[in-house]
Amino acid sequence: MDTSFIPTPDGLPVSWQWFQVLLLFTFALHIILVNLVLGGSILALFSKNKANDFYVFNGNIPIMVALAINLGVPPLLFLQVIYGHLFYSSSVLMAVYWIIIIPLLILAYYGTYIYVKNNSFSVRWRKISLVISTLFLLYIAFMFVNNSTLAQKPADWLGYFDNSNGTMLHWNEPTLWPRFLHFLFASVAIAALGKALFYKYSNKISPEDKELQIKSNLKIVAFITMVQFIIGTWFWLSMPEVIWKMFMGGQMAATIFMTVGLIGALGIIYSGLKGNLNLTLILGVLQVMIMIIVRQYSRAFYLDGIFRPSDLQNSHQPSSLIVFLIVFLVGLATLYYMIRLSATSKNNQS
Amino acid sequence: MNYPIWHLPASGGGLLIAIIAILHVVISHLAVGGGLFLVLTERKALKTNDQALLNYVQSHTWFFLLLTMVFGGVSGVGIWFIIALVGPGGTSVLIHNFVFAWAIEWVFFIAEIVALLIYHYRFGKMKSEDHVKIGWLYFIFAWLSLFVINGILAFMLTPGKWIETGNFWNGFFNPGFIPSLLFRTSIAFVFAGVFGLITAVFLKDSELRNRIFRYCAKWMYYPLLVLFITGIYYTKVIAPEAFENLFHFNPESKFFINALILSSFGLFGLGLFTLFRLPSSIQKLVTFFLVIISFTWMGGFEYMREIARKPYVIYETMYSNGISPADVEIINENGFLKVAKWAEIDEVTEENQLEAGREIFRLQCMSCHSISGRNAIKPLINNFTKRGIEAQLTGMGKVNTYMPPFAGTEIEKKALAAYLYEDLLGKETMVNPDYLAEQYPLEVPAFNSADDDYVLLVWNDLGMHCISDNEKYFTFLPPANTFNAQLFKRGDKPELVTNDAIITYEIESGNENPEERSMFWKYSKATFGVDIPLGKGLKGKSMNDSMDLHGNHFAAELIPVLPYRSDQKFNPYPMFTFKAFDKSTGRLLVETKAVAPVSTEMGCRNCHGGGWAWNNISGVADETAENILAAHDKYNNTTLLADAKAGNPKLCQSCHADPAVGAPGKPDVLNFSAAVHGFHANYMSDMYEEACNLCHPSHPEGNTTCYRGRHYNSGLTCTDCHGRIEDHALGLLAGQTGKPSADRLSASLEPKWLSDKSTIIPRTPWIHEPDCKSCHTNFNMMEDGFSGSAFNLWVEGFSELYRNRTDEQGVMCISCHGSTHAVYGAENKYGKQRDNMQPLQYQGMAGTIGTHDNCQVCHKKKMNTNGHHRNQVLREYDVAIVE
Repeated sequence: MDTSFIPTPDGLPVSWQWFQVLLLFTFALHIILVNLVLGGSILALFSKNKANDFYVFNGNIPIMVALAINLGVPPLLFLQVIYGHLFYSSSVLMAVYWIIIIPLLILAYYGTYIYVKNNSFSVRWRKISLVISTLFLLYIAFMFVNNSTLAQKPADWLGYFDNSNGTMLHWNEPTLWPRFLHFLFASVAIAALGKALFYKYSNKISPEDKELQIKSNLKIVAFITMVQFIIGTWFWLSMPEVIWKMFMGGQMAATIFMTVGLIGALGIIYSGLKGNLNLTLILGVLQVMIMIIVRQYSRAFYLDGIFRPSDLQNSHQPSSLIVFLIVFLVGLATLYYMIRLSATSKNNQS
Repeated sequence: MNYPIWHLPASGGGLLIAIIAILHVVISHLAVGGGLFLVLTERKALKTNDQALLNYVQSHTWFFLLLTMVFGGVSGVGIWFIIALVGPGGTSVLIHNFVFAWAIEWVFFIAEIVALLIYHYRFGKMKSEDHVKIGWLYFIFAWLSLFVINGILAFMLTPGKWIETGNFWNGFFNPGFIPSLLFRTSIAFVFAGVFGLITAVFLKDSELRNRIFRYCAKWMYYPLLVLFITGIYYTKVIAPEAFENLFHFNPESKFFINALILSSFGLFGLGLFTLFRLPSSIQKLVTFFLVIISFTWMGGFEYMREIARKPYVIYETMYSNGISPADVEIINENGFLKVAKWAEIDEVTEENQLEAGREIFRLQCMSCHSISGRNAIKPLINNFTKRGIEAQLTGMGKVNTYMPPFAGTEIEKKALAAYLYEDLLGKETMVNPDYLAEQYPLEVPAFNSADDDYVLLVWNDLGMHCISDNEKYFTFLPPANTFNAQLFKRGDKPELVTNDAIITYEIESGNENPEERSMFWKYSKATFGVDIPLGKGLKGKSMNDSMDLHGNHFAAELIPVLPYRSDQKFNPYPMFTFKAFDKSTGRLLVETKAVAPVSTEMGCRNCHGGGWAWNNISGVADETAENILAAHDKYNNTTLLADAKAGNPKLCQSCHADPAVGAPGKPDVLNFSAAVHGFHANYMSDMYEEACNLCHPSHPEGNTTCYRGRHYNSGLTCTDCHGRIEDHALGLLAGQTGKPSADRLSASLEPKWLSDKSTIIPRTPWIHEPDCKSCHTNFNMMEDGFSGSAFNLWVEGFSELYRNRTDEQGVMCISCHGSTHAVYGAENKYGKQRDNMQPLQYQGMAGTIGTHDNCQVCHKKKMNTNGHHRNQVLREYDVAIVE
C-alpha cells in the first residue's frame, strides 16, 4: 500500500523493547482498573444486593477511577513513543470525538462521586448519576476502540480527504463492534471477579453472605466467559483472513498464546462455576495478560509492511531510563509506606 | 507537514488549547501550593489545638481533592490530548525526547494521588503526626511533579544546549528551568491562598472566617517578592529575539501583558480586602473575583510565554506549524505540496490554483490561524491586496520574527495569496485600465544662434518629485519642486551671468492654483508647524515668481507644483516658462522652458489596497493611507491613525530623519529612506526594477513613468545604478548601524550584487548617491571599469552629486545633461520631447547641450578641444538624440 502519507516517527532514547515491555505491563494494570470501573458500574446498575455491594465495592468506584486514570498515563505514554506517528494521525481524524472524552471523563468522574455520596444526594439522583457516568464511560471505551483500530489501519485514513473536520469514525471497520463488545463483556467479568475478591477481604459481611456473594459473582464470571467465546470468535473472524489465520498456525507464538487463551477461558468457566476464587483470580489475571499479548500480535500483523518498532532510531541515552527506574522503585516503596501507614495508624482519640 | 491537520476554520485549535490549558494550569499550580497550605494549616491547628481550624482543613481537603484530583488530573490529560491533536509534530518531539521525564512525573503523580486519597479518607482517623506526614508527602510529590513538568515546559522556550547536543539533561535543565520553577512555585502558593478563601467564605463562624481570611492573605502576599524577582529573571534567560518579540514587536502581546499587569493589580489589590472584617456577602464577592482573576493572571502569563516562543513550538527546533527550520530550504526547493505528507494536491496548476492555495493554508497556517475565530486570518489580511498578501508571505519570519517563514515555492506562495484574497476574502484584483497619457502640445521657444547673446539653461533638481498627497493622514513628501538655472552670455569665451540678471518664471495655464486641489495648506500647521500662505511653497515660492541667486546658479526652491490641472486632467510634467532680464535695464535677455516633474503616483495601494484618490488616476486614497498607518501602529506601538483621525496628521520625518526635507528626526529612529526601504525590502524577493516600480512612479505602464532619460533608452534599469531592493536597503541600513531597528531589518536581507554583506558601504540617503563616474570613468562612455552596476560606488558627498557637480569653468553637469532620470535625449509619455525643450531650442536636436559638436550654443567660435570634460569633441556619436 501507499505509505507516503504516514508521518515519519521520531527516534527513541533507548531500545524499543523497553517501551514495548513497559507498554504491555502498564496497559495490563490500567485495563484491569478500567474493567473494575466500567464493569463495576454496569454491575452496580443491576445490583440485587445494593447495601452490601455498595459497602464492599461500589462505594470505592471513584477511587478506582482515580487510579484507572492515573494508570492510563504510562501506557498512553509508551504507546505514543512507539506508535505515536500512527496514533496522532488517527486521533486527528476523529479529533472531535476524541477530545470530547476529556469533559465526559471529568463528568463521569464527578458522577461517581455523586453516586457514592449517599448522605448528600437522594437515591434517585445517585442512580441517574451512575447511569450517566456509565454511559460516558461506554462512550470513552468505544472511542478508544475506534482509535485503536484506526491507528493500525492507515489505509482507512484516506477518508480524511473527504472529512478533515475531525468527525471521522471507523464505522467501516469489521472488528469495531465485536472488539468493543469483547472488551465490554471482559470488563464485566473482571469487575465481577474483583467484586468476589473484595467480598473475600471485606470485614463487616457475614461469612454466609460473603460465601454467597463470592459464588454468585464467580458465576457471572463464568457465564460471561462463555459469551466471550461467541463474541471472541466473531471478533477473531472479523479480522482479515490473513490475520486470523496467523493465530491458527500462521505464526507459531501467536497461535500458542491464542490457544493458551482459549484453554484459560475454559479454565475460568470451570473454576467460576466451581466457585473457586483463587483459581479464577489467577486464571483471570493471566487471561488479561495473554489477551494483551494476543492484542499486541494482532496489531503487529495489521501493521505488517507498514511499520516495525524495531526500525525506530535509538539515540542511546539510557541515563534518563535509569533515573526513571530508580524513581519508580522509590515511588513503589513510598506507596507501600503510605498505604501501610494509612492502614496501621489509628487515631486514639476517635 | 508530517501530520494531518484538524480542520477548525471557526475556532482554531489554539483556542481549544488555551481554554483547557488555562483551566488546568491554575488548578495544577493550586495542587502544588495547596498541598503545603493543607499540611501547614493542619499543623498549625494541631499545635494550637484549634479544632475549628482543623475542621476547616478537613472540609477544604475535600474541596481540594474534587478540584485538583478530578478536574486537575483529567484536564492535565486533556492538555496532552489537545496538543497532540492540534500540534502532533511538536507533541511527538516532547514525548520522544522526554519520555522518561513524563514517566517519572507519572510516578510522582500516582504517589500524589494516593497520598491525597489517604489524606482525605483518613482525616481524623490516623494519628495526627502520621496524617501530617502523609500531608507532607503529598506536597513533596506534587512539587516534584511541577519540578518535572517545569523542565519540559521551560525547554520549549529555552532549549539551550539541547539544540546542539540533543542530550536529555541539557534539554531538561535548560536555562529557563530555575526561574520558571521558582516563579511557578511562588504563584502556586498565591493560588493556595486564593482558593483557601473559597472554603473559608462559607464558614458560619465569622471570627474563624476572618481569621482564615487573614491567614490566606499571608499565602498570597509572602511569595510576592520572589514572584516578581523570578519573573524579571525569567525574561533575562529567554533569547533576545524572543524578548524583543514579546515586549516590543508582536502586537498580539500587548493584550496579554496588560492582562497580566491588570490581573496582578487586581489580585494583590483586591486581595487587601481579605485583611479587613467585612460582611460575608462582600467577602464572597471578593473571593469570587480573586478566583476569576487567578485565571486571567495565569492566562496572561501563559500567553506571554507562548508569544515569546513564537514562531516556534520548540524554540529554534520546530515552528508552530510543525515545520522544522532545517527543512525550510528543502521545502522551498521541492515545493511544500510535494513534501507535505497530507497534501491531496501535489503541484499547483492554473486550474487548481485556489484549491492548492487552500491546501497550503490548511497544512501550513491552520495550526495557529482560524479563518474567522481566534487569531483569525481574515482581519489580518483584509487590508492588503493580493500582491500585498504575497508580500506578507515573503516577509514572514523576517521583520516579524514571530511568524515562521513561508515554506514553499514562489508559485505556491502565489497560490496561497490567491486563495486568501480571492476565495477567503472574496475579492477580485482590480485591473488597471491602460493609462493613456494626454499628449500636451509643445511649443519650443525661439533661439537665433547668430543673434541671440544669452543662453538660459534651467532644470528641475530631480528627475521626479513625488508628493504623498493625502496630507489628511500623513506627509513625507510635500508639493515642492525646485528649479535651478544657469545663465550664460554667449561669446568666444562664454560668461556665467549671476548678479546682473533677474530670472522669473511662470507655470503653464491650468496648473496655476494648486491650493484648489491639495490639502497641503490645510494641514501645513499640523505637519510643518506653520501656516503656509495659500499657493505658496515651504520657502515662499508661488507658481509665478522669480528665482534667487545661489552662488553659481539661480534657484526657485520648493514651488508647490501639483500634477492636477484645473480641467481635471493629470499632467505630471507641467511646463514652466523662464525669462531672464537684465537687472539694470529690465530688458528680456532670453526665454526658455522646462518641466517640473511631479507625481502623486504612489504605489502604496499595490499592496496596502485602496483606489486612486484623484479622478481615478492618481493620488493616495484614504483607504490606502489608513491601512498604512494601521500597519505602522501595529508594528511600532504608535497611534498615528487615531492622531490623524483626530485632525493631527504627522510629517513622517518628524521622527524619521531625512536630508531630503532637512529633518533631524529622532536619534534612535531610522532615517526615512532606511526605514521605508529596509522594512519593505523584507517583503520582496527575487525582484529587479519591478520592485522599484511597485512604489515609485517609474512603471513603464503607469501614469508618470518618471525614468525616461537617455539611460532608459540604452537599456539600463533602476537596479543598474541603485542595486536591487535588498542591496539598496542594506546600504541605507548600514548607514544607520547602532539604531535598534537597523539590525532587525537587515538580519534577513541578503545582498544581490555582492556576495558579502559586510562589504556594503554605509550610505546616507540623498547624499551618497550613485556616481556617474562609476561607469563613465573619466567621463568616457563606459570605456573603462564598467562593472555592470554603480551600486556601492557612491559619491563622496553632497557637492559631488550629479546635480551639484560643476566643471572647472563653473558649468554644472546637469545644466547641459538634464535632470537626473531624465537626462537629455529623454522620451516623455506626455509628449515625446517634453523634457528636451532646451536642447531643441538651442541646437535643434534633443541630446546633450553641445552634442554633435554644437559648441556654438554658447561658444561663438568653433571649438576643437575638450573644454568641460574629456570626450566632448571629435568623437563618434551613437546614441545621443531623440528624433
